[in-house]
Amino acid sequence: MKTNLWKLVAVLVVLTLVLAGLAGCAPSSTPTEIPTEPPEAEPTEEAPPEEEPTEEAPPEAEPVTLHIGLTYIWDTANPTFGWYNYGLRNLLYDTLIEWGDIDTFEPNLAESWDVSDDGLVWTFKIREGVTFHDGTPCTAEEIAWSLNWTIENEVETFSFYLTNFEEVVALDPTTLQVTLSEPVGNMETALLLFTWILPPSVWEGMTYDEIMEFEDIAAATGTGPYKLVEWVEGEYLILEANENYWRGAPAIDRVIYHEYATDDVMIQALLAGDIDVIDAVPSTGVQSLEGAENVEVLIMDSLFIDELILNSHENGTQPASLNDPTVRLAMEYAFDRDQIITVGYLGYGDPATTVLPTSMGDWHNSDIQPIPFNPTEGNRILDEAGYVDSDNDGIREDLDGNPMEYRLYATDSAANARILEVISDGLAQIGISAPPTVMDEDSLIGLYPDFDFDLIYWGWGLDPDPDFAMLIFTCDQREEGGWNDSGYCDEEFDAMYLEQAVTVDREARRQLMWQMQAKLFEDRPYFVSTYYNNIQAYRSDRFTGFGMGCGDILWKWCFLEGQPVE
Amino acid sequence: MERRDYLVRKLFFAFTTLVVVAVFNFLLFRILPGDPVRLIIHSPRMTREAQERIRATFGLDKPVWFDGERFQEGDILGAFDSQFTAYVRNLLRGDLGVSFATRQDVSELLAERAWRTVVLVLGGDVIAIFLGMTIGLIAAWRRGTPLDTGILLFGLFSWALPTFFLGIILLILARGHLPTGGMVTAGLKPEAGLLYWADVGEHLILPTITMGIVYTGEYILIMRSGVMEVLAEDYILTAKAKGLSTFRTLRDHALKNAMLPMVTMIALTFGYTVGGAIQVETVFSWPGIGRLMYEAVQKRDYPVLQGSFLLLAVSVVLANLLADLLYSVLDPRVKAE
Repeated sequence: MKTNLWKLVAVLVVLTLVLAGLAGCAPSSTPTEIPTEPPEAEPTEEAPPEEEPTEEAPPEAEPVTLHIGLTYIWDTANPTFGWYNYGLRNLLYDTLIEWGDIDTFEPNLAESWDVSDDGLVWTFKIREGVTFHDGTPCTAEEIAWSLNWTIENEVETFSFYLTNFEEVVALDPTTLQVTLSEPVGNMETALLLFTWILPPSVWEGMTYDEIMEFEDIAAATGTGPYKLVEWVEGEYLILEANENYWRGAPAIDRVIYHEYATDDVMIQALLAGDIDVIDAVPSTGVQSLEGAENVEVLIMDSLFIDELILNSHENGTQPASLNDPTVRLAMEYAFDRDQIITVGYLGYGDPATTVLPTSMGDWHNSDIQPIPFNPTEGNRILDEAGYVDSDNDGIREDLDGNPMEYRLYATDSAANARILEVISDGLAQIGISAPPTVMDEDSLIGLYPDFDFDLIYWGWGLDPDPDFAMLIFTCDQREEGGWNDSGYCDEEFDAMYLEQAVTVDREARRQLMWQMQAKLFEDRPYFVSTYYNNIQAYRSDRFTGFGMGCGDILWKWCFLEGQPVE
Repeated sequence: MERRDYLVRKLFFAFTTLVVVAVFNFLLFRILPGDPVRLIIHSPRMTREAQERIRATFGLDKPVWFDGERFQEGDILGAFDSQFTAYVRNLLRGDLGVSFATRQDVSELLAERAWRTVVLVLGGDVIAIFLGMTIGLIAAWRRGTPLDTGILLFGLFSWALPTFFLGIILLILARGHLPTGGMVTAGLKPEAGLLYWADVGEHLILPTITMGIVYTGEYILIMRSGVMEVLAEDYILTAKAKGLSTFRTLRDHALKNAMLPMVTMIALTFGYTVGGAIQVETVFSWPGIGRLMYEAVQKRDYPVLQGSFLLLAVSVVLANLLADLLYSVLDPRVKAE
């Protein structure tokens, strides 16, 4: 028996070694899961091997590599249905125009542009000498092709920015002409951010089904400052600088994204130097990072908002009392924004009033005064309106005699659980019962399109142009798959929305936006709770110079300003 | 003869269990709330046709069990064209479907992830077995002394220690010396040979130690109680009376008998930990099957969930079977039911 025991042990040891070796040999996932015929995918994939092993003694300068830590890299390389990590995608592709500041624009692929008097014909002067990562040229012809292709195939991620486009044509290699069906108030912004120019060399000739299945690295081909070299799902993604980028080769040669399963570990990784940048620092990690000398923590204004959604659909399952504007007003007096920010965001955010955050500059209606946290006033309003607590159980009854109990939901993050408690406690102080329930995001989405809820705490990452934030409240968006999550529908509001969409005069449009915000503030489909910060951190002893104007140091040109510390 | 009957009976039960698991597996994910197609379809403007196309690709347009309508029309075979029959048919072919989230073949995905978890678990388990057995043995031999009490407390402590917490502590301690996460340095490929394996090994150190410490506690306790029981037996007294040295007594008599519960424990632990290394995989961002399952649950990735649950069930059933067989080999008295 003893020999058998030692044999068992010996076998186990050998097995371990063998398995460790085999784990190394086991196939690692590559992006090319679905067989396709991409023109030049292979050369880009095979390009880097010389660089990896030669860390010690390279003949030329070592490539400058920046490591980024995040909890989820992205869903797919395909830009037509990829909804995650727009910052990364923005490094791969270019658009015609780039954002400068709140309402200034900078030329990107379009050097200059102007519009006809009737606002229907836009002419863009296209930059010369630009090429895609695969070497094919990017002239007005290719751009026209790309925009038309986007519209024809209804590319779900960004074709809706181009809804008024009637015709896109290249008059010559450096002139692009866009004809609209109606003048558009936010034309420049529509061609910004996400209307990426894609190469016909990759996408031409594909059927709709082929497009929807194309997951090859070549899908990341664009004209942007970085090219996609490799993506191992769930682990890392490698970008390499585009030496031929029209703005000049980036100072950082390689960018590697590392996927971490939890964000707490990223804090340690940054301190250890395994990564140089944390994309989204959890609020709980800020203090430990601020204490470190070689780490710079950036707490920036963002376009993120969080809100409490009050079901406003006339066919929703909410009790009638929730539809009463008086009740809503009283509830807002019981909504403690300061406490929510302290508890849920550790102070990294500002109390909100309207749907458009202050970071949007003068789009934000600064005339609107916030409703302070004042349960006494809330109680007074409800008493006057006839909602009394007849059986003295602490919960008021509505005009039909039913107790005022509302379902309160949110996705299950640690912060949300605590925020819901604050909301629930506040409502309890005015005699409304709202026991908190957290659930996973999919279940929350499952409540639509029946609008089967009373209150939901959720949030948005808004576009810099206010059009999108307002689109959320239009009647059309209530249909299945739409953006309208409150069920709000108002004729007057819809009319204002349609008007601003075709208003070219900036000041006139701004006034409309202010009116719309005021209307929403009165009707209260949302209590917007927080304009919260975007927090990032990086190793200041290794990199410096990132542009601060984007609210995100990984954003395109702000990122390009970064350089290694010498 | 008895041995063979035993074997056949055990195999039969294992097989039946697996069939039940396969059916239950299918059912389970159909009962969960939430429509997985909604996760794939994000766009408000995706046309009806496109939505239907996606449903068809994933077979979600067919009825779940049975198509009553077609049956009534006389189309008997067609009536069975359901998600369930598709599931069974594919299962028999080894086709576990395609992931909703990444569109990767599920069997491939599981194969590559499972390996990584097995390596992680195996490493930790080997450490734990060695340490656990040795320390447990010492504790039992020195029962009643402060050393024994100390070991007992240590065993309880390390077994009760939350894996996640331990992992983070080790990570902080080793910060700067060992990698903070992942399986391999970005860009390094198996073609690099020894360099690659050494790199994977470096990434394996902390997670393996974490797993090891957590399991050691468990094994210490089992070994200790097993040996203590055996040491109380008469034949040990006889051995001592005969003048056998401590070492020989332990080795030739105590150990063999104490190994029985240990062996069972080891076999069972292997089975469970294929999916159970979730905590360690999360702390160290190890791309194994535990993490895969956790993410699949969040995303309602039915095919991946079905596949990994099936894998987990298979490994538990097989491990149980193995434990039973080992037990019957080691202890000749165990054969009849």
